[in-house]
Amino acid sequence: MNPNRILRRIGLAMITVIALAGIFAPWLTPYDPNVSSYDVLFGPSPEHWFGTDELGRDAFTRVLYGARISLAIGPGVAVIVMLVGVPIGLIAGFVHGRADTFFVQVIDVFISIPSFIVALMVMATVGASLVNLVLVLGFVMWPEVARLVRGQVKSVREKVYIEAAVAIGCSPARLLARHIWPNIMQTVFAQLSIVVSLAIFTAASLGFIGLGLPPPAPDWGSMVQSGFDYLVLNPWLCIGPGIAVALTVMGFYLMGRIVD
Amino acid sequence: MIRFLLRRLCWVLPNLIILTFLLFAAVTQWLGSPAGMMLGTDASPEAIADLNARYGFDRPVVVQYVDWITSALSGDFGRSYISRQPVSTMIANAAPVTAELAFWAMLTSIVLCLAVNSLTVAKMTVGTIAFFVCIVGVTVPNFLLGATLINVFSVKLGWLPTSGWSPWRNGAVDHLTHLIMPVMTLSAFYFSAFTMIYRAEYNDVRQQLFVRVAAAKGVTDDRISFVHILPNAVLPLVTYIGTSMGGLVGGAVITETIFSMPGLGRLFVSAVAGSDFPVMLAMGMITLTGVMILNLLAELTLAALNPQIRI
Repeated sequence: MNPNRILRRIGLAMITVIALAGIFAPWLTPYDPNVSSYDVLFGPSPEHWFGTDELGRDAFTRVLYGARISLAIGPGVAVIVMLVGVPIGLIAGFVHGRADTFFVQVIDVFISIPSFIVALMVMATVGASLVNLVLVLGFVMWPEVARLVRGQVKSVREKVYIEAAVAIGCSPARLLARHIWPNIMQTVFAQLSIVVSLAIFTAASLGFIGLGLPPPAPDWGSMVQSGFDYLVLNPWLCIGPGIAVALTVMGFYLMGRIVD
Repeated sequence: MIRFLLRRLCWVLPNLIILTFLLFAAVTQWLGSPAGMMLGTDASPEAIADLNARYGFDRPVVVQYVDWITSALSGDFGRSYISRQPVSTMIANAAPVTAELAFWAMLTSIVLCLAVNSLTVAKMTVGTIAFFVCIVGVTVPNFLLGATLINVFSVKLGWLPTSGWSPWRNGAVDHLTHLIMPVMTLSAFYFSAFTMIYRAEYNDVRQQLFVRVAAAKGVTDDRISFVHILPNAVLPLVTYIGTSMGGLVGGAVITETIFSMPGLGRLFVSAVAGSDFPVMLAMGMITLTGVMILNLLAELTLAALNPQIRI
């Protein structure tokens, strides 16, 4: 079997496990993610796998519940990108001449923006919330997808069956929907999976520098940040949620690999 | 070449103005207000009006933008809201740290990438290992990598200093040992991303006829790999390095935060955390401009290497 196919299945399996862990979190642990206790900063033990944080909350429980947040952010961003980047890419790939040049230049300008810095500034201005995070990440991530879609449309357009469809009087809308889109769909969805992984990565990085969801939300990035201060005492407070981020990002990344 | 440069400038300059204006307007007017950010949400209307009047935030956004740009061009980025220091001094103090971090990280990633992937011994083994290292390298967030490195090399083994920055005058050894972990953290991602791109192109070029001719003539494997294939396979990597400058800044922000390095990234983060609006604005505008200039430089390098692009 093709190695990429195996990797895609591994990715899918990882995401399935993480999603199930998030959904069934209340049944998997006896603790509440947001209720503090006096058991402050316990080390890892059979009762508390990753120990407890500075407010006495079970760190493993918070990592499990954190999956819900990450799996809301990532696909949410993908939806925004799908609604903005894909249509722009389709149009840019479909038109010729000056209009095409215009779209290419606009997309290139937006790609050249340092996305993390802009996301950081905008998040600091509008304040961190789930909706804001998804909108801002969607805004900085659509250009890459638009460029990919444009390239795909351009290459499919040259095929003989497109010429044939034009020859029998196919309308542009039908051409896009029935003849072009089905042929580029797989690549686009693979890229959207990469977008999801990047979005989760970026959201966690923002969380790490203090722009994550406001407390007490069990945001993985924020947990890494607060656990960082206790690295000597109990590294799992920091590394546990960090590994959760890495595995989720890797899962979506592997799912999106169709070429190597 | 000069014509190419002028043509690109005609495109980049207007874009730079539009983008910086959009960013300026977004953070000062459209999405939030400096007063709201600095004073908090429950500030009294009088306090907000007073602050707006003092800093001129109540003027039309275009006037504010032109005003800001004019003073920025003469080197005046305003004063920090918290430390009262001129922003330009703070930036001048922090810039060398970030520049050095970025320089070492890029140098390490590029040299390692070219060396490891052009090696002619144990090609299969190196290829397989590189494949898995790359997947891990591009997906593991650098804060996790940084925290793990600190945990292993500083906390457990005690070989390296946990964090901080030591200037050259403290001695080269001290200076460089403080840099090892940050550079590793920042270059892991770039090494992996570069490797993916370079390997793909390297394998393409290896199929070409001139490589077979060289082999037939009896040129050694090492010479073929480094002298014949490498220069022909390096172009996509140069393109990618050019476009990755924006991401490098983001990576530097995280890396400097982990290792408490007094660079631009940490200045930016502490400005955001402390709601220090003038510093944040200046950092954002400078980064945006800097990245666009770096992109332009990358484009020029590419044009110098490949005449086709100059048309």
